Amino acid sequence: MRRRTLSTMSVMGLASALALTACGSGGDASSGDGAVVFWDTSGPAESPVFAQLAEDCGEAGGYQVDIEQVAFDQALNNYRNAAQGGQGPDVFRAEVAWVPQLAEGGLIQDLSETDLADSADFLATPWSSTQYDGRTYGVPQVTDTLALLYNRELLAEAEVEPPTSWAELAESAPALGGESAIFLNNDAYYALPFIYGAGGDLVDTEAQEILVNSPEAVEGLATAKELLDDGAAQTALDQGNSYGNMKAAFVAGDVAMIIDGPWAVAELLEGEAFADPENLGIAPVPGPADGDGNSPVGGHDYVIRQGSAVTESAQDLIACLSSTESQITVATELGLLPTRESAYEDPAVSAQPIVSAFSPVIERAHPRPWIPEGGELFDPLKIAYSDILAGNVEPQDALDEVATIYQDTILTEYTAN
Amino acid sequence: MVLPVVVVISVLVLLPLGQGLFFTFTDINEGNIANPFLDRPSTYDVVGLANYLNVLSGEPAYGAFWATLVRTLIWTFSGVFFHYVIGLGLAMLLNRPMRFRSMYRVLLILPWAVPAFISAFSWRYLFNADYGLINWALESVGLPTPVWLGQSNIALVAVIIVNVWLGVPFMMVALLGGLQAIPADLYEAAEIDGATPWQRFVHVTVPALRSVSNTVILLGVIWTFNMFAVIYLITGPNPNTRILITYAFERFFSGATRDYAIASTYGVLILSVLLVFATVYRRALKRQGEVW
Repeated sequence: MRRRTLSTMSVMGLASALALTACGSGGDASSGDGAVVFWDTSGPAESPVFAQLAEDCGEAGGYQVDIEQVAFDQALNNYRNAAQGGQGPDVFRAEVAWVPQLAEGGLIQDLSETDLADSADFLATPWSSTQYDGRTYGVPQVTDTLALLYNRELLAEAEVEPPTSWAELAESAPALGGESAIFLNNDAYYALPFIYGAGGDLVDTEAQEILVNSPEAVEGLATAKELLDDGAAQTALDQGNSYGNMKAAFVAGDVAMIIDGPWAVAELLEGEAFADPENLGIAPVPGPADGDGNSPVGGHDYVIRQGSAVTESAQDLIACLSSTESQITVATELGLLPTRESAYEDPAVSAQPIVSAFSPVIERAHPRPWIPEGGELFDPLKIAYSDILAGNVEPQDALDEVATIYQDTILTEYTAN
Repeated sequence: MVLPVVVVISVLVLLPLGQGLFFTFTDINEGNIANPFLDRPSTYDVVGLANYLNVLSGEPAYGAFWATLVRTLIWTFSGVFFHYVIGLGLAMLLNRPMRFRSMYRVLLILPWAVPAFISAFSWRYLFNADYGLINWALESVGLPTPVWLGQSNIALVAVIIVNVWLGVPFMMVALLGGLQAIPADLYEAAEIDGATPWQRFVHVTVPALRSVSNTVILLGVIWTFNMFAVIYLITGPNPNTRILITYAFERFFSGATRDYAIASTYGVLILSVLLVFATVYRRALKRQGEVW
């Protein structure tokens, strides 16, 4: 009796071990035939271009590429879950803030000893996002930042110039129909221009200090709230619908201005207000400092999963996808900003209206902290910003709470002020 | 042959439970858990009761436990109350002989057949403060148009409405089954004795439904208490709709730190609350003479 139970147990143990290895080899089997699995996190208007590029790269390099489209807001989570189980894509398009986090977790490969670590041609800020602990973990795909996107026709009708400061915006708002002047997206990333513009920041990584509740940051978010109170701006107070409503209002011509990045442009141009692409104007985000360093640097990097069975093909794919020619294709077709200097030298790129409009903005953009926790700073800030805009909590109190959460659960080594 | 049962129960239930319980006394998270695929040993430490003290302190940084517990109870009991009342009403409507009865039944069970995430996203569109159908309808009859899914307690009302809509069909079907098991001659006898419809309901229907009701209410409480999809998919990490289970998820999976220790602590606390509830509920039933 007893022996039988023991053997039952060992059989069960074996079975679960088998199941585990089956899972593991299942992941490898899909790539064991040499196919490189590529997780693309770009939007629906952008992904066909990336997919075509990846396929062409595979054909030229003699390996197969399987492109899987993954929703941007689910991608990090899915990747972490899969990679911890030894599965997932071989090549992953990671947002810049994800790279140090994945590197610290050991979920992506150190590329320092490979040909991909050659930084010579890359712009300094995007390249710095691939660095963690003095090693290279990715290759920059595109860089981006937030800018003021405006409807030229509406501004011309109201005889208003694109504002350079929030005060100017408030002045010109009545001519644009009060709160139809601008739609502020109720989300953490879109709160950064207000914070940076007022001279604030989320954290100081050098001094290991939490700055999110500093007077400057408080003043920045208070400015956003004042714009709403003065009837010079609108937002969706139901946070989950905010980004969708902003785009809907802008492409319908219901609001004259929004703040968004180059990734949104391809989709905006499909809307009725921008049937004529010339109607879309692009300017730096307003701020007291005349647009200097007001908007955060974003973008995406290519990384390779730790444990990928096709590392060599994956490296080839990344080299091909981030080559100057590929970046030129992406820039000219989608208006996304290249990360290689040589790509900007191409006449087709410099003539691309979106690229040429965004590149002066990005040159003055405010760098973000490239720390593993960088991506986690947003969730508490998102709740606080929503509370402030809804008028539930005073900016100081809301940001004090964010600082407490940062210190208690995310950046325990840092000091708060 | 009790051993196979013991083995299966311990492998499937007790072992994971014990492991979860152990995690609550450590500082385990994504970064220090052992991972054979990444060739990494575990480096987490035992921290004693620190997790429980942090959570039970009610600090916002750890999910404001007490406020969240109260919200969870409001969410659970208002949900189950409306599930039961509306479900019973519909079941009694459908229990009468009428034309197209089976068609009505199919239509009323439909919400239950739709995957929860699809309903959740549809409701999110309906509740959209600017473009939603609900506010459009309210506006057209001159009523105020609230921000349903904003940073206020109205968001909790909104998700309760969705949850009621989703859960009524199950209650209706379960209670309909109970109603059909009541012999018709009981009603006839009551009618001959001169009982009004209300008296027939109170003295025949309610007692006859008691055993079905007790079971579905207990099930309903446990399900609603742990109902994650509706809240998370409709409002995301909004503190005004946060219940215990969604906060455990936020700590375990979502963008914030993957703090397995705090998430497990929440899991153990949720289990404890439900165990206490089930025990009290059973005691109460026993006192009423129910064998359950």
